[in-house]
Amino acid sequence: MRQTAGTLNRTWLTILGVLVVAVGAALLLQANGTLHTLLDTARPRTSVVTGDLHAFFAQPWVAATMLIIGVIIGVLGLLWVIAQIPRKNPAGDYRLHDDASQGFTLCDPSVLSTAVEKQINTLPGVITSAALLRGTARAPDLTLKVTVNDRADVQEVIHRIQTSTLPELANALEVPLQRSGLQIDVSGRTQSTGTVVQSTGTVVY
Amino acid sequence: MNPQGTHALTVSGDGYAGADLGETGTRGQTVLAAKVIEKIAGQVASDESSAGGASGGFLGIGASADLSARPKASVELAGNIATLRVEVGMLYPAPLRQATEELRRRIATRVTELTGVDVRQVDIRISWLTTGTKSNGRRKLL
Repeated sequence: MRQTAGTLNRTWLTILGVLVVAVGAALLLQANGTLHTLLDTARPRTSVVTGDLHAFFAQPWVAATMLIIGVIIGVLGLLWVIAQIPRKNPAGDYRLHDDASQGFTLCDPSVLSTAVEKQINTLPGVITSAALLRGTARAPDLTLKVTVNDRADVQEVIHRIQTSTLPELANALEVPLQRSGLQIDVSGRTQSTGTVVQSTGTVVY
Repeated sequence: MNPQGTHALTVSGDGYAGADLGETGTRGQTVLAAKVIEKIAGQVASDESSAGGASGGFLGIGASADLSARPKASVELAGNIATLRVEVGMLYPAPLRQATEELRRRIATRVTELTGVDVRQVDIRISWLTTGTKSNGRRKLL
């Protein structure tokens, strides 16, 4: 149900990995003299920096620059850590109007999610369910988590969701679902309520 | 100047020749409170569509969805032009765009017919959906 920063992690790890490999390769080439031959860089095992470094780092602007760079890297790192927190990222209000000049039609996606949950909860074997809508009213994205008991026919539940629940949501929104995800959990809990029984029998007192 | 939240409908006629009348050629004014327009809009939504409102509860707490209840409506008047906001509940899985578009048309037409106010916009917020049964999604043991 919750989204993690998988894409962000892959992107930044790829960028950092490529940078580290490139720097490492450059250092190796420099160390064995290949870079000196190719690009006329400094000779291997010779001192590149000459002079007094203490005097250089004693200048106030160098310390300030280092501090700023450090803070920037620290903030970026912190943002990356914060991005690791799983988020639901629910959609904002769905806009269901075609012509805004006549008025707006708004629907909170949680209203639709609740309707979907109510429908799924009536399926045989379903203990509880949670629905989450993302995307827009024109391109809705539904994520479902359904908990069934251990006696439930999971294939039947999936079939009923695919042939009844999802088409009905698409019918209500009048657009096909862009994506739908279904997570099934099995629980040992029993259903807390019974089943509707249409009885026509005789009651004997 | 009308009191805030009211709309004055001028009734034209021959009028009296008395000096008390401020406007020559009029018999007076019918002042329509904004609440009247709101209630008419809510009643039209309730009677002429499948939309519902909330019933029961105390001071808005504990109210339950009820398709037979009058939806909550509010109006913003600017002269003879009204913008309505309606909060409704609807049947699921009815096509919501079609249903709300039809509801908007009905409200605008009927409120204009009944009050003479020009309804320019009707904002609709769907606050709940029901399958039409009394079930809360759980099975019932009978």
